Parts: sequence; C-alpha cells; structure tokens
Amino acid sequence: MMTPFVLLALVTLGGIGLFLAMPGGRGAPGRAAPLLLAIAAALLIAALVRLTAGPRNAWLILLALVGAVGAVRMITHAQPVYSALYFILVAVSATGLLVLMDAGFLAAALLIIYGGAILVTYVFVIMLAQQSGGPRPYDRQAREPALGVFCGFLILSALASYITAGGAALPPPAPAGEAGIGSVANVGALLLTEYVVGVQLAGVLLLAAMVGAIAIARRKAALEEGRRHWEVG
Amino acid sequence: MLLPYLLVGSTLFVLGLVGFVTRRNLIIVFLCTELMFHGIIVNLVAFGRYPLHGAPTLDGQILALFLLTVAAAEAALGLALVTLLFRYRGTLDAGAWTELKEE
Repeated sequence: MMTPFVLLALVTLGGIGLFLAMPGGRGAPGRAAPLLLAIAAALLIAALVRLTAGPRNAWLILLALVGAVGAVRMITHAQPVYSALYFILVAVSATGLLVLMDAGFLAAALLIIYGGAILVTYVFVIMLAQQSGGPRPYDRQAREPALGVFCGFLILSALASYITAGGAALPPPAPAGEAGIGSVANVGALLLTEYVVGVQLAGVLLLAAMVGAIAIARRKAALEEGRRHWEVG
Repeated sequence: MLLPYLLVGSTLFVLGLVGFVTRRNLIIVFLCTELMFHGIIVNLVAFGRYPLHGAPTLDGQILALFLLTVAAAEAALGLALVTLLFRYRGTLDAGAWTELKEE
C-alpha cells in the first residue's frame, strides 16, 4: 500500500513549504518554498490519481490543484487585494467540483454569491482601509507561523489518514437518478416542501444581519471620541 | 469517488484554518473563514452525492445552501465590525486589540 507514504510526504513537504512561504516565516525563503510546494502539489496529484476512478477524474484533479494553489497563495500573500483575488480562484474551482457532483444549482449560487457579492464586499472594504505605500508590517509578519502550520497539518494528516483508511469498505458510487440531480426544479421543490421552515429562518437571519450591519455602521459620533481617546491614551 | 472530494475539502479547510490562526490582518482572517466554508461545502455535497448507504440525495446541497446564507450574513456583519474597528484605531492589525482578552 503506497498511499500512506504519499500522504505522509504530501503533508510533511506541504507543511514545510507553507511555513517557508508564510509572510515572515523565515525571512527570505528564496526558491525553497515554491519548490517544496510544487513537490507537494505533485504528490497531491499522485494521491488523487490513486483515489479516483472514472472518466471525470482529470477534471477533478485539475480543479483540486487549482483550488489548493489558490488557497496557498491566498493565505501567504502579503497584499490583501491579491489574497481576495486568489480566493476567487478557489471559489471557481469549488464551483467546478460542485458541477462534477451534479450540483448545478448550488454551483451557480456559489459562484454568484461568492464571486459576485461577498468578494466584491471584501475588495471594497480592503480598498476602503488600504493605506498607501506597500504592505503593512502586520501583513509582512505572520503570527506564530511555525506553530499554526504544524497544528493545521497535524489535523490534515489525521483527517487524510482517516479518510483513506476506510476507502476499501466504501460501496461503489451509485449513479444519481433523476431525483439526485441538483437542478433548480429538484432543489426548489425540496426547499419549498421539506425545508420550508429553514427557508423562513434563513430570511429572518438575513434580516437580522442586515439590521445589525446597518446599526454597527451608523455609529459615527462615538467613534471620533474613541479614536481621540486612543491617540491620547 | 467520495474520497478525493473529502481529501480536497479537508485540504481547503485546513489551509483556511492555518490562515485564520496565523494571519494578523483582520480582513484576511475573515476571508480565511470563507475558505473554511468552501471546504465544508465541498464535503457536504460530496456526502450527499456519494452517500455511505442508499441512493444519492439532495440533503447535502440544501444544507450547503443554508451554509451560503450564514456565510453571507457573517460576511456582512464581520466586515461591518472590521470597518468599525478600523475607524477606531486606524489599523487592521488584530494585535491592536489585545487588551480585549481576559487577563
């Protein structure tokens, strides 16, 4: 069985590469971090090739690779705007994965909500809060990158070994029948019959969030006082 | 076919987690929660599409749809709070608010 070693090497090399690539991880990482991350990406491809079977696996591997690269660049980039743009790459690759899983409506909703609404809000706030003159010190120096990367990849190794250990016991994938396709008609019918209470609750939640956001953003007078207090004190 | 999706989902989740605990920019911290949401959405849909027992269902997709709703509400409220904090201190550094923690 080769997969555990592939996964171990993937997690180890990926962790070291990510630590070296973190802003402020080791001063000037040079070429070591991209090289290690490229090897980790190749190992990810190898692990996915071992796990997949069927005609759609090439798309799956490509989308997984794009998502992983986008996620790594997103959490290591020192410029917040580029982080947000790389996150769009992750959203696009997740959308492709959902399309591969016959979830067409959810894929469209994900792309519209994330790429169209949430990311625009993020970029807007980044532009609003961006000071001129290069990355700020808190963007160039991560907080405890070694500890964070170690704990994160410990969790990843546990998850990956647990996922792949039970692989042989899985039943073969069943074809999604007519009712299993995530089309607008199927999802909409389910939303308006079985999950109608959830839809109502989601509406209440969105209303509460909107009222809360407006209430928070309105507080102006107290703010100036707070900033003066901070600057004096 | 369930396993590769779970592997991709857990990879995205862990990368978001690492970014969440190590980055100091408040906006990037919130962006990393969205990355974790993506990993969870991929996992939910994969479990619905390739279930361990029985035929594929749409329950995972419905749950992911509600997750999208929560993510949108969280983004709106979180960014409102971040702009509020930025107006207080003029910086996005999470370390500027360390006196909020308990001694």
